[in-house]
Formats: sequence, structure tokens, C-alpha cells
Amino acid sequence: MDPGVRLMDRVRARDASAFEALYDGYHRLVFGIGLRILGDPALAEDLTQNVFLKVWTAPDAFRGGSFTAWVSRVARNRALDVLRSRAVHPESEIPADLPLDGALDDDVLARIDAQRVRDALATLPSEQRSLIEMGFFGGVTHHELARRTDTPLGTVKTRIRSGLRRMREALGERVSR
Amino acid sequence: MSDTVNREELFDSVALYALGVLPREEAALVAAFIANDDRARGEYVRARTAADALAHMADEPVDSTRSARMKERLMSRVRADAATPAIARSRPRPAYPAMSWATGLAAAAAIVFALVTVAQDLTLRGTLALDDRRITTLQARLSQSDRAAVESQRTLTRALTDLLASDARRYPVAPGTVVVRGDRIYFALSKLPPPPKGHVYQAWTAPRASTTMSPSVTFTPNADGVAVVRLPVDAARVGTVAVSVEPDGGSKAPTTTPTFVRPLT
Repeated sequence: MDPGVRLMDRVRARDASAFEALYDGYHRLVFGIGLRILGDPALAEDLTQNVFLKVWTAPDAFRGGSFTAWVSRVARNRALDVLRSRAVHPESEIPADLPLDGALDDDVLARIDAQRVRDALATLPSEQRSLIEMGFFGGVTHHELARRTDTPLGTVKTRIRSGLRRMREALGERVSR
Repeated sequence: MSDTVNREELFDSVALYALGVLPREEAALVAAFIANDDRARGEYVRARTAADALAHMADEPVDSTRSARMKERLMSRVRADAATPAIARSRPRPAYPAMSWATGLAAAAAIVFALVTVAQDLTLRGTLALDDRRITTLQARLSQSDRAAVESQRTLTRALTDLLASDARRYPVAPGTVVVRGDRIYFALSKLPPPPKGHVYQAWTAPRASTTMSPSVTFTPNADGVAVVRLPVDAARVGTVAVSVEPDGGSKAPTTTPTFVRPLT
């Protein structure tokens, strides 16, 4: 299980030491997402503070599943908010938490790391990989992706869909090894 | 979305939704679709797992000085907060927090809402696929105002069903689509500029074989230029619909060049 899940149980009970452990375990990820999207260490630092304060003050916002995935989405959406406030106006937003009867593949998410993701991404053709990375860290819509890469919209859709499928398969293989 | 939106197109957009690259109004439609389609849910789980994993790419060492500074700032606040008696921190929570947003819609003759709200609602409530049994159970528990909210939710669900239905007739207009299903007419608009200060958008309808426009509801798009409006008329009696910018409160006859005029043929 994602260790963040257990720690969040204690954070809900106002356990400061659990929060500290949570920070130690996940601040690199949150800061890194902020830095990738905002491109400014000072802004990424503010974002990190902001995200972890939310974790502390509103722990019920996390409703289970993978804490890593949840805190990543919070960080990404906050970073996109910052871009919007700076008049960059990204139009997209990753769905925060669309609940499903069958949860996401939490066992997969809990057992992957940066290297596994890079390895999985490396299995994709470059045109799929670049669209997926630009989409995730760029905060732009598929229309904008099509414009920037001078690619038909339908092709962008197909490449993202195929790329994510392939990546999911690659992640599954790596986790099960 | 285009006027030819259908289930396959929505299905094709599920991966884009999971990656977070859909504009908000499209994202809301796809979210509603996922909530109501088993195949889409399966596709979403696969795509979302891969998309979520991408965040790990950003997991890299942070400069130790910066890391310590961030931690110190946070922990000083957290420790102080943790030392505060719990009773001073607690705030009463409404029994059904996700219902309250819809309360204001209950008495409206026409529904005007941003589809992005639907997406937020999905997040808050856990599911859009409300069935009547659940609604009935909730209704028994709720206060009068919350019952109104539930009724609005029922109307909202019906509107979404209509908007996504494959048998709905769709008429493209410059800022979006006019959707007709059964006796119901909707405007699903996503490219509306904000009206000038002191003005609103107003819908108009004309009977079949007539050019005389009758005033209908007024509405204002959200910050993203999105508005979904149900017209309080029987679609069978309407031959043409239009929208124009009018002073607050609406007009008895159009006073500006219409944003669009669309025969429903």
C-alpha cells in the first residue's frame, strides 16, 4: 500500500509527526511537478507549501486510493492555477478524482518510481511520448498540442490514446516482474 | 464538442480526459459519459493509471537548503496548529455538502449552468449515475431546501442524458450546439464572449412558419464562455431559435444583431 495512505490516517487525527513523514516522503515529487510546470524554483517552492498546507488543513480532501497519484494531481492543478493567474491561461485540468466503483490500479501506482516510468515511456514511439509529456506537464489542450506539433487533431487523439495504453501495459509488466 | 458528437467520439476522448488535456466543457461531457458507460470506465482506469504515473518523472532531489527551509516553514505552522484544541478548529459540516451548490437552481424556469460544474459535482459526490432509488432515499432525509436541490439534480441528470443521447438532434451554431430531444431544447454553448457590463444573453424562439420572435430566458456564460441553457418551451412548437445580447432583465424584442439564428430543420 502507498505509505502515504497510512500517514494520512494519522494526519486526520492531527498527528504532526505523521505530517512530517509525509512531507519527507513526498515533497520532492510535489516540488518537482511544480518546477516542471512553472519552470521557476521560487514558484515551485510556494506551490509545495500550498499543497502541503492543504494536506494538513483539509485532509478529508483525500478520499483514499493512491496518495501519490492524488497529491500529484493536486500539485499539477495548483501549478496550472498559477499559470492561469500569470495570464498564461492553460485551458485544461486533470480530473481531480473521478470516483469509480473499481479503483484505479493502485497497486501499480504504489509500486512504480521515476525510473520505471522513464523505462515505460521509452517504449513509446517519440511522437507518442512527446505528446503525452507535453500534455501532462504543459497544461495545454489537445487542440494546442495539435497546433504546436502541426499534427492533425485526430492523430493527436490516436497517439495519446495508444501511448497511454502502451505505457500502462509497460508499467504493468515492470511491476509484475 | 462538434454537433456530431456521439458515444464513439466520447469514447475516443477518454484517454485525453485522463491525461487532462481536454478543454473544460469537453471534459465535463466526457466525465458524464464515463460515469454512465462501463466500457469507458475501463478505458479510463487504464489511461488514468498511466497518466498518474507520469508525475513520477518529476520526482527528483531538491536542493537541501531549499528543502529544509520549506520544511521548517511548514512544520512551524503545523506544530502550532496541532497544539490548538480540536474544538477551536472544527467547523460544522453540512450533512450533504455536495447538494448545496444546486439549491439555487431549483426554482429556475430554465437551467443555466456551466458544464464544468458538472465535473466538479462528479468529484464531490462520488457519482453522477444517480438512480431514482437513491434519490428517493435521500429525499426522505432531506430538508425542504435540500429536496429542491435533489430535484435540481434530477433535472441536471436528465439534461446530461439528453445532451449525450445518440438520438438527440444537434444543430451547430457559431458558439456551440443547439440540442433537441423529445420536447426539450438546449443551448450547449462554449465560445461566448462575456456580455458587456449591464447586459446578458437572451434566448428567442419563433413558432414554425413564423418569423416573429418571442422572448425566452436570459443567461450569462461562466468565465470560460460556457453556458448550457434549457429553454422553457415545447420543442414541437418551435421552428427557430436565436440568441442576442440584451440589457439586464431582457427585452421584449431583440435590440441587437443576434449572436445566432438557427432554424430547427
